[in-house]
Amino acid sequence: MESDTSEAKKAEPGSALRRNFLRAIGAGVACAGVWMNDPLQAAPPAAEAAPPDIPGYDWRKHKWAFGVDATRCIGCLRCVEACKAENGVTQDAHHFRTWVERYVYLEGDEHARVDSQSDPGNIAASDSQQAFRFDNRYASAPVEKAFFVPKLCNHCTHPACVQVCPTGATYQTPDGVVLIDHSYCIGCQYCVQACPYGAREFNHAMGVTDKCTWCYHRITKGLQPACVEVCPVEARVFGDRNDPDSPISRFIRNNRVSVLKPQTGNAPNVFYAGIDKEVS
Amino acid sequence: MPKHIMRLMVLVAAAAIVGFSAKIYFTDKSYYRYGHYRGDSVAEIAGDTPRFRGSTYCKSCHEKQYAVWADSPHNKPAEGRHVQCEVCHGPVGLHPNREGVPSSFDERLALGAKHVLSSEQNGAPTKLPARKDKTECIQCHEAMPGRPTAQRQVELAAHAGTAPCVSCHDPHAPKISYSGMPDKPKGNAAAGKVLSANCTACHGPGGESTNPVWPNLAGQHATYLINALQAFKSGARPNEMMGGMAAGLNDADMENLAAYFSGRSCKGIGADKAKAALGKKRSASCALCHGPTGVSPNPSWPDLAGQNEAYLGATLKSFKDGGRVHPVMSSVAKTLSDTAIDNLAAFYASANCK
Repeated sequence: MESDTSEAKKAEPGSALRRNFLRAIGAGVACAGVWMNDPLQAAPPAAEAAPPDIPGYDWRKHKWAFGVDATRCIGCLRCVEACKAENGVTQDAHHFRTWVERYVYLEGDEHARVDSQSDPGNIAASDSQQAFRFDNRYASAPVEKAFFVPKLCNHCTHPACVQVCPTGATYQTPDGVVLIDHSYCIGCQYCVQACPYGAREFNHAMGVTDKCTWCYHRITKGLQPACVEVCPVEARVFGDRNDPDSPISRFIRNNRVSVLKPQTGNAPNVFYAGIDKEVS
Repeated sequence: MPKHIMRLMVLVAAAAIVGFSAKIYFTDKSYYRYGHYRGDSVAEIAGDTPRFRGSTYCKSCHEKQYAVWADSPHNKPAEGRHVQCEVCHGPVGLHPNREGVPSSFDERLALGAKHVLSSEQNGAPTKLPARKDKTECIQCHEAMPGRPTAQRQVELAAHAGTAPCVSCHDPHAPKISYSGMPDKPKGNAAAGKVLSANCTACHGPGGESTNPVWPNLAGQHATYLINALQAFKSGARPNEMMGGMAAGLNDADMENLAAYFSGRSCKGIGADKAKAALGKKRSASCALCHGPTGVSPNPSWPDLAGQNEAYLGATLKSFKDGGRVHPVMSSVAKTLSDTAIDNLAAFYASANCK
């Protein structure tokens, strides 16, 4: 804009009007610049501000991570039911913060047959949209290989969902959890689109996006997430990576772990043991 | 400067001031505290009340059940098995009021077991749909491709048919345990002997049946005999002859009779050896309740060893065709062919009864 004004000086008489106008515009732009760089926005890094007022908890001292041992999972779906009960997730067979997938290879199959608890056959098997179970459709099939894979939000180190949120409703905490502030969510579902793992769900009753919080209200009180608490076979593991003796540190140390879709660059913090190449 | 330009500038300035103040006014004070989000929301999210509290929480009121569970295969964290209370009962946070909790297990079972305990969801006394018998157990234990082999799994059709799991297993300590099931007859055997005169016409003197179609009673479990007499009396087990006989007996009579017959020693009879050998191979699924050689470890279930071959065969066929109904036996018998029934009858008839 400034260069425009200098050019305007050489212009023919009567251009004072335009010159003034352009000056005004320049001033306006400068004003806008000051406004956009207002002191409020120069926020101190999270580490400097006093941590949130959570009794007995300092988020600077923890680095949470989650482990899934697919070789142990029995597909009982207790985790799914527990998550819904703990977090008040919509009580139907189509909204989940965590879910379980079944991968089955029949003899000669090149690709896995995948279903989850929201498959119509499995909904029919449970006979209720409040309780979940897998039907036994492969009971007499020539199954070559089959296994269950629990899934949930990966609480990525570089979360795509946080990057695309236009209102700052979803964010990452220094202890490594991706949360949603429902009072700032406008329900645009851009994050739902951005997540490569399909981990987010939309709460139609509230008009906001919802997601796994690793039960932030539990882990900040020294408890395990609800799904970990109820898993009867310890297929789900949770803990603090800052503590070398935590369940998750031992899980990562003692297993050959992988993450889902590493090529997306999200750097997940849910570590899997015993999954196949087709699981993503 | 022309007036209309001035006006425009004032307008722009006013809009900027309004915008700037609106931004300050409407932005939450904690918004940029930690980053591009509302800092207070972290503590708000962390402030929710947990609903799952762990088994130790249940212990304070349900000490007895906790003790049974704590020693059971459902509580073996070292082996990676940790089926806590809330896995089956639902979260403590949804525990209904004391008035709303039915006291006995049977009542809870009748209402659908698990979800009775979460009947007050979201403060409103709504009952979640009752789940069918067994659902609770088979959610983890139904044999299914994909379940790790280390997980205890059962083929439902072959295991117990339509019988509820709890008819044999205590869900708190599911491994069938025979300790604490005494079979000490309370009745008076001498009084029973006097009464038994009425039985001898069919069941023989001393409970050794003269006709192989009628069962031997000598050496049978007292508890089973009492249960059978009560079932005849109430009509739960319809039988023209026995219904009439049992109708005239009171509880003390039944106990006396049971004491007398259970105190007698049984006699093996012997049967076709080839058939018995085949029957032995088929007997694995019977052994769970009736013992590997037909001597039942649980006094509620009858001894089969030394029983009359014809009676055993007829009874199994009666379970199979619905003439006699029992939650476990009816479904088990349906999986047996007539030949298998004959072989099993021969095996148990020839088995050593003590």
